[in-house]
Amino acid sequence: MKTNRTGSNSPAVVILTIILVIQLLLVLYPIAFTIGASFTESNSLASTSIAPFPKHPSLYQYRRLLTSPDKMVKGTTDKHGTNYRVWYLNTLKVACMNTILTVILCSFAGYIFSRFKFPMRKTVMASMVILQMFPSFIGMIATYIILWKINGLNTLWGLVLVYSAGSIPFNSWLMKGYFDTLPKDLAEAAYIDGATPFTAFLRVVLPSAKPQIVFLTLTSFTGPWMDFIFPRLILRSDDKKTLAVGLYEMISGRANDNFTMFAAGALLVAVPFTILFVAGQKSLLQSLAGTGGKE
Amino acid sequence: MSNIVSPNKLRKAPIASACFMGLGQVLFLKQYVRGFILMAFETIMILSHSHIYKSLRGLITLGDPHPELPVKLRDHSIFMMVNGLIVIIILAIFFVVYAATIKSAKKDAEKIIKNRKFPTLKETRNDLSENSFAVAGITPAVIMVAFFTVIPLLFSAFVAFTNYSSPDHIPPNNLVDWVGLENFKTMFVRSYGGAWASSFVSVAIWTIVWAVFSTFSCFFAGFFFAVVLQDKRIVLPKLYRTIFILPYAIPQMLSLFVWANLLNGTFGPINRTLMYFSLITKGIPWLSDPVMAKVSLILVNIWIGFPYSMILITSSMTAISKSLYEASTIDGANKWQQFRSITFPLVMYQLKPLLIMQFAGNINNFGAVFFLTAGGPSLQDTISTQAGSTDILISWIYKLTMNTPNQYSLASVLSILVFLVLVPFALYNFIRTKSFKESEI
Repeated sequence: MKTNRTGSNSPAVVILTIILVIQLLLVLYPIAFTIGASFTESNSLASTSIAPFPKHPSLYQYRRLLTSPDKMVKGTTDKHGTNYRVWYLNTLKVACMNTILTVILCSFAGYIFSRFKFPMRKTVMASMVILQMFPSFIGMIATYIILWKINGLNTLWGLVLVYSAGSIPFNSWLMKGYFDTLPKDLAEAAYIDGATPFTAFLRVVLPSAKPQIVFLTLTSFTGPWMDFIFPRLILRSDDKKTLAVGLYEMISGRANDNFTMFAAGALLVAVPFTILFVAGQKSLLQSLAGTGGKE
Repeated sequence: MSNIVSPNKLRKAPIASACFMGLGQVLFLKQYVRGFILMAFETIMILSHSHIYKSLRGLITLGDPHPELPVKLRDHSIFMMVNGLIVIIILAIFFVVYAATIKSAKKDAEKIIKNRKFPTLKETRNDLSENSFAVAGITPAVIMVAFFTVIPLLFSAFVAFTNYSSPDHIPPNNLVDWVGLENFKTMFVRSYGGAWASSFVSVAIWTIVWAVFSTFSCFFAGFFFAVVLQDKRIVLPKLYRTIFILPYAIPQMLSLFVWANLLNGTFGPINRTLMYFSLITKGIPWLSDPVMAKVSLILVNIWIGFPYSMILITSSMTAISKSLYEASTIDGANKWQQFRSITFPLVMYQLKPLLIMQFAGNINNFGAVFFLTAGGPSLQDTISTQAGSTDILISWIYKLTMNTPNQYSLASVLSILVFLVLVPFALYNFIRTKSFKESEI
């Protein structure tokens, strides 16, 4: 079978390896450049060195990000800090609240769709499939007015409501699909032991759906980090912003003023994010293969 | 209260429930808790009839002009519209519950007649806890979807038939009125809408071109690297694979921002590097030339999107049975023939639904366009419509909604269009999941 082994230096392999190496450099170049830029003392894009290594490495941009706006950056007399730490915390709060709410709502809804009969069940389920197709920002004016009515503007919980409501159609459908594959007698056995539907769900059904819940947790936690449209619409004051809006406003239209600080801010998000992603990759891929790849 | 079952009396339960929601449950079926809750619901609805009437009337008239009142007290058409929609949704829920109540009164009465006795306390409790579990579990989700998805979508569909736009029809200073198909004519009829219609044609064409190119370029780039990295003669495939996944792991918005800066015409390091090596004398207008911007957008999108396809194709390739390849090797097939007759058709068969859904996703790929080019560069003849040369429908909708002068009504026309374009994909997805389910049973 290994007749090709001898030809490991054949022209085809050389060409393919060259293509792979070029692609490797293309993938790494923007990342390396960003890392280099984040350690540049000067603020502007123009002053970054074209080789992805700063000539005089400095932590100034990180210091500037992490200093609060009412204080001066250490070593300077006129440079104010930023709200970056507040944005980070806000985003973390939104992500956690969104995860909790989404997991509760969607695992209940998915389970009930899968096992219970109630009026209009089919209609509700069909409309869920249709609704999950549409980007929810199409209705952003009405969303804004509804939040305004319930005093949810410029609050983090308002944003969380919008996020978790928007993800219900897709995620409850996803959970329903998973619950459909679980044996039905699981809960029935618990009923015989005297459990109510609620305790049976909590103690027996939910634990057996763990892989799918991990997936749901992962996606609903990572979702809010880089969403931009709704936080921009809902959160107005600087101390309520999430990272996506903060970083966007740092750089939009003023790249030449703030690029290096943006690079530092982006790295502080991207590094933990990438680590989390690689750690959760296995569960992510399994679920992707389960939902998308199967015929 | 006796426990004697009288069929004649019980048959009245659905009729009583039809007269007043929940009445049959209380009078004849001994379902007191459920009955009283339902009766309370109807009572509240009856008590608020004037509010319901006012809201529905507001939805139809969208307010009357009161120039004599201070701005704060004038009718606000948009609030009236949202209120009207909320009332419609609540009424719809009310009628569904009403119908369900009558139906269940009939069913329960028949059950009692058949069993010749009322359910025991324990049975009632079991039934109640099962039912209330289902209702309590689904209600929050349904309410949230109704308020944050259904009402906003209906609202934006309604706005398309009004003149809600800057500068003359922005509440509370001015009222908004229904204008019929006016906005559709502006958007789609060239002789009527002028710049709008021509902007629409160019944005629509680019949306389709973009969706086709971005979907297939990522897919085939991913395919190429998946296949190459499966080749036994390549050294260190694992290293390449790990690094190639990085663009997928990094938040997309951040990579797009970094790329926008790398490609910056004057200060961007890519142009500076090319100039440093004297490969070019003048900066390449990566993002400032209409055609170049489109090319850059698709190229950057490959950088971001190919890892995802690569991962999926790799995993679908590992599922192909090795015996197929062994058999074909014995038959004398070379690598290319194996790829053409085994790998390619099998992977395509598996991933076709995914490819179709990615296409639908790219029609709506707001992020890629907005964060890299912000729709720009703007074109001379479409400046009034805000449509830039790389704007796709969805990013144009965003600009029309968020930038001044706000053109909410025209943005809503486009939203309806996006809705119509997506329906076939939604149906396809639905039929697919359904058939997928049936084949499993």
